[in-house]
Amino acid sequence: MNVVIDGKTIEAIKGETILECALRNGISIPHLCTHPALPPFGACRICIVEVEGMRGYPTSCSTPIAEGMVIHTQTEALRLLRRNILGLMMLEHPSACLVCERRELCDKYRPKSEKVGATTGCHTCNNKEVCEVRELSADLGLAEIMVAPKYHYKPVERSEPFIDRDLNLCILCGRCVRICKLHQGKSVIDFVHRSSQTHIGQAFGKNLHEAGCTFCGSCVDVCPTGTLSDRYAKWFGRPDAEIKTTCIYCDEACALTIYAVNNKAVMAKGLYDHLPVCVLGHFAIPEFLNSPNRLRTPQIRVNKVLRPVTSEETVQRCAELLKNYTGTSFAFICDTSSTLEDRHVFKKFTQEVMQSPYYFEIIPDKKGYAKVANIPEEVKAVITTGLFIPQEYRNRFEVVIALDIFPSEWTKSADVVYPVATFAETSGTVLDRNNQLRPLVKACNPPGEALPEWSVIQQIAKTISENWKEYTSVEDISRELGFDSAKLNLDRSSAPPASQNLKERREWFKGHCMENYVTGLVAVRNFEEGNPHEEKTSIKIEVNIPENPEHFTVLSRRELVPNTYEFVIYAPAIARKASPGQFVIVMVDESSERIPYSLSDWDENKGTITLVIQEKGLSSRKMISVMEGERLAHVVGPLGTAFEIKQYGTIAILGGCYGIGAVVRLSRALREKGNKVIVISEARSHYMAYYEKELTAVSDRFIQTTIDASSGEKGHAIDGLKRLLQAGEKIDLIVAVGCPFMMMITANETRDTGIKAVCALNPIMLDGTGMCGACRISVGGETKFACVDGPFFDAHQVDWDEVRDRREAYSAEEIQAISFTMPSTTIQGEHHYHQCSCMGRG
Amino acid sequence: MTPSENSEIKAQSIPEAKPKKREKIPRQPMPEQAPEDRRHNFDEVPYGYTPELAMLEASRCLDCKKPGCVEGCPVHIDIPGFIRFVKEGKFIEAAQHIKQQNALPAVCGRVCPQEEQCESKCILGVKGESVAIGRLERFCADYERNSGQVQLPEIPPKTGKRVAVIGAGPAGLTVAGDLIKLGHEVTVFEALHEPGGVLMYGIPEFRLPKEIVRAEVAYLKRLGVEFVMDFVVGRNCTIRELFEEEGYHAVFIGTGAGLPSFMGIPGENLVGVYSANEYLTRSNLMKAYLFPKYDTPPIKRNKVAVVGGGNVAMDAARTALRLGGDVSIVYRRAREQMPARAEEIHHAEEEGVKMMLLNNPIRIIGDERHRVVAMECIRMELGEPDASGRRRPVPIKGSEFIMEVDTVIIAIGNQPNPLIPQSMPELQTTKHGTIVVDSETMMTSVPGIFAGGDIVSGAATVISAMGQARTAASSIHRYLSGEPLKKSQQ
Repeated sequence: MNVVIDGKTIEAIKGETILECALRNGISIPHLCTHPALPPFGACRICIVEVEGMRGYPTSCSTPIAEGMVIHTQTEALRLLRRNILGLMMLEHPSACLVCERRELCDKYRPKSEKVGATTGCHTCNNKEVCEVRELSADLGLAEIMVAPKYHYKPVERSEPFIDRDLNLCILCGRCVRICKLHQGKSVIDFVHRSSQTHIGQAFGKNLHEAGCTFCGSCVDVCPTGTLSDRYAKWFGRPDAEIKTTCIYCDEACALTIYAVNNKAVMAKGLYDHLPVCVLGHFAIPEFLNSPNRLRTPQIRVNKVLRPVTSEETVQRCAELLKNYTGTSFAFICDTSSTLEDRHVFKKFTQEVMQSPYYFEIIPDKKGYAKVANIPEEVKAVITTGLFIPQEYRNRFEVVIALDIFPSEWTKSADVVYPVATFAETSGTVLDRNNQLRPLVKACNPPGEALPEWSVIQQIAKTISENWKEYTSVEDISRELGFDSAKLNLDRSSAPPASQNLKERREWFKGHCMENYVTGLVAVRNFEEGNPHEEKTSIKIEVNIPENPEHFTVLSRRELVPNTYEFVIYAPAIARKASPGQFVIVMVDESSERIPYSLSDWDENKGTITLVIQEKGLSSRKMISVMEGERLAHVVGPLGTAFEIKQYGTIAILGGCYGIGAVVRLSRALREKGNKVIVISEARSHYMAYYEKELTAVSDRFIQTTIDASSGEKGHAIDGLKRLLQAGEKIDLIVAVGCPFMMMITANETRDTGIKAVCALNPIMLDGTGMCGACRISVGGETKFACVDGPFFDAHQVDWDEVRDRREAYSAEEIQAISFTMPSTTIQGEHHYHQCSCMGRG
Repeated sequence: MTPSENSEIKAQSIPEAKPKKREKIPRQPMPEQAPEDRRHNFDEVPYGYTPELAMLEASRCLDCKKPGCVEGCPVHIDIPGFIRFVKEGKFIEAAQHIKQQNALPAVCGRVCPQEEQCESKCILGVKGESVAIGRLERFCADYERNSGQVQLPEIPPKTGKRVAVIGAGPAGLTVAGDLIKLGHEVTVFEALHEPGGVLMYGIPEFRLPKEIVRAEVAYLKRLGVEFVMDFVVGRNCTIRELFEEEGYHAVFIGTGAGLPSFMGIPGENLVGVYSANEYLTRSNLMKAYLFPKYDTPPIKRNKVAVVGGGNVAMDAARTALRLGGDVSIVYRRAREQMPARAEEIHHAEEEGVKMMLLNNPIRIIGDERHRVVAMECIRMELGEPDASGRRRPVPIKGSEFIMEVDTVIIAIGNQPNPLIPQSMPELQTTKHGTIVVDSETMMTSVPGIFAGGDIVSGAATVISAMGQARTAASSIHRYLSGEPLKKSQQ
């Protein structure tokens, strides 16, 4: 069957769609709602083509190819149509960044997306680095948003296990709905409501668990935007390695891809288009492996306490301890979570080196629970590779050597503890339930000094016996066993049971209860027990604030614009002394970080201060979770050197993002001093603009700019300023208050004007009084402390790359902190109080 | 065994020894955690004396008629007096006896450089080893605290005079303790969220458990001292306003030396370069080592260089070690010139801190994301003595080398915090930024305003700050009582 696509004659296959045929032949047609795993849908209409003799513009994803078709995929009309279709779609997606003129500069200055509560633009979107919408809009040359876009103001859903859902980013492509139907055979999620109210959700407002979700994660995998995200993985950025391996949580042995950043597993996905994997395969690997509780250092018992020592000392001690226990007084106990290679070495060690018949391989039960049934009385020394022996048998043994991944009562009472690598940290071969060999491939590094189990045992064997035949690598063992032919389980015909029924999931691994180490599993358990975690919402509750509130009580809290909140706090000692440009440091509770926030406003008579706070990470999330009537632990200020209020002439104050708050009082004070003040406030889109009235009231002229031109002038604040200068306005001083990017472009684009530009810097601080020096920055080659010398500096002299990098100094740790705290009420280990099936044994 | 469990131990258990025999008792070491263990935890290194050990050690004291130790003590504790109580097993009485002169015995017993002070004057030290005064002081204070029998001294009737103390560090706490006991009303203003100053943010948990500082503060609170946290004098109000609006009759400034010095070499603003203040504050005050239980992230890195040779450098190095780093101290002079206490250097080395002596950093090297990757140093040799009397280190030409590091902690000292002097121009300061005081009275150039500690002397020790604070407290008392400030004027 021959067709012509873009003038090229092509052999088509009967039954394929135009899109499939074109892609197969290397002709790219832009498309969005189509996904290789899914049947044609034709929802987004991006993939339209022209077919000679056919009316209109058929969607190539759903039109079957036919003999003799003459197809055009790249006509000018199609490009325009596609651009307009995308443009319409972008009216309900935070799209300003797609049409921003400084998009490349922004990507260069901040290549990695920044964590945030609710995403309102690309650089704070967890999907940024792999976004299909961004690629498409670049391909189609989307340059403007035709009418003011709509933001849905839906709260970001963060109380479900594992999955964050921000429906404000959803473009209704239906991929998640379709994959759910395909992988689960039912619609846990579906389109809810109609027309402009349509959104993705569960029927009757049920939570995911009630709706029958098994947390297979397939919906997250196919989402082309940042709407659905893997809560643990979302801020780690683009993985630098993808390794295909086998899941060893159960003997289904699903094939997985492990994604790693800096040799650390951050995300996992099933390798099947047509089938899901279970909750553990998708969500429980990185968090489990990266748990801060992992054993990291070899330890031996010295004077009754376990002491961390070198691996050589540990091995030496093992050899000494074991030398009197050859024969039937020794036993080796492992389970089938160790690789065949590991187990080969264990068995050989037991039989040849220890000359004992007691090599036990426990086969875990359906829940993964692996406990040894009985050990002969004569056994006095054991090596275990997990938590397999109930503690009540501990006193029967004179020597216990524990190779393990997590500490437990067992390791605490052991004579030697050796941390080991497991799962994606090691290579080898495993056997699936059909007795097929499956490869386990190393994808990330084990923690600390942990080593593969076989290599620990081999070191002990070598020390005890001169006759041990040494293996140089795990491949060496595989070859000896004839296992080098193991292949990934790619041709599964049915979904793993746990992916269809959550109750089938394993709960144990190597004798450890997984809920102890994976927060989402605790949340699942809580759902199962009818105690779902509910995040505090911003629903207004009438709060009676007393006449004389305690210091630092929150008197009012409101969401100004998405992800940005205004707090009014009772703090008379600060209100009495505050001046424009100063800041405060807040600690939400006694375990919080100390975070600086600019003073936006204050009222000396009422004793209140006002702060504008953007949710960025853990600390600001804690902050915005404080409700009216509640109290902050500490607020100290006013700190920093106030802006010098004097006669400057005409001043342009540029505000952006969280910085807009600080502009209000600054503008008012400068104007009262007789300056002419022009305030230019920037926002990505009309729904991100705030304080317009307040700023109009305190300035001689107020200009609003938006990047998508949906309100006021188009562009950044600096564009507004440039237009003023072109129009002949004489400006004597420029003040920029906003994020580093906004201040950087203001500095760079005013450098040649000869006008002095001042910026307000807010780096990481601890004390805020000059004691720690964390906030130091280079200004004109000199080191300054932003907390006491600042926050105002000559914008043209600031080293902006350094400002950015110093702000990012703790980003890796902060991302880790976020993963630990969500859902915030289900902290590790707490499940014991909710009667997890492990009953505290894990 | 905690001391309180063993409170039934009586003096009889150790027979009264004759002086000659006593001398044969060696100085008793303090049991401590093995270096291999403690380098992995933040628990305190020494366990402290048991009552038996304390009484044995106390029995070594000759109870001299003219005790040199008292002279050597900046706060003039009656050392033979309290040791006498220890000998008799009257530990609570001993603690109370110390507290007459020293408000913070549990702290001083741990962090004072006794070898340069009281113990250096001990007559036993001339021939052999001096009495372990510091360890005994620490024992008594711990014993009293753990016994739950902390007794409050009788406080005279209120004088109606109000004193504002700025800074809740060692100097401020001492002044507060002395003045409250004299019947004055005392308010302590502190900028940080917890009182204690350097005891809280600077000295690590393994050297001074923070519970002890909290207990000392709680004791002052029980005496009636008012603490106002999150209050920055110089920002929230001026000293003038303390007098004029808040009605205070005297002010003590104990704001310390909290402005970290840097070397002024290229690369000091890279990510991964910390002042010792920042590094230690993160760990100690913000409890970063308990992350993620506390929100402040710790600085866990692999190869750490600590620049400096003082006690703060040792504290930073030992903290970095506990956070899992491979730590070297880079110091431009030789070991003999290190200002740190011998005991601290010894502890650091025992735990595995490497000493790179006679090396001076000249440049810190970063990658494209401004993260530290290496440090360039130059080797030094000792030349002629300088103004401090120490032989001046001189660079050896052509000996530059590059060491691979990912963290550099600068611990080369602190300058006085300028916040207060800036907010009060009439307060006379030196060119180093310290406040000028009359050394006999500790009064500043402004009547009614006193100062002491590092804000007066530059970066020094906890106990010297407390010594100055005691002098200041007695001057403040005379000032408030309308007495002449100087003895010469009496």
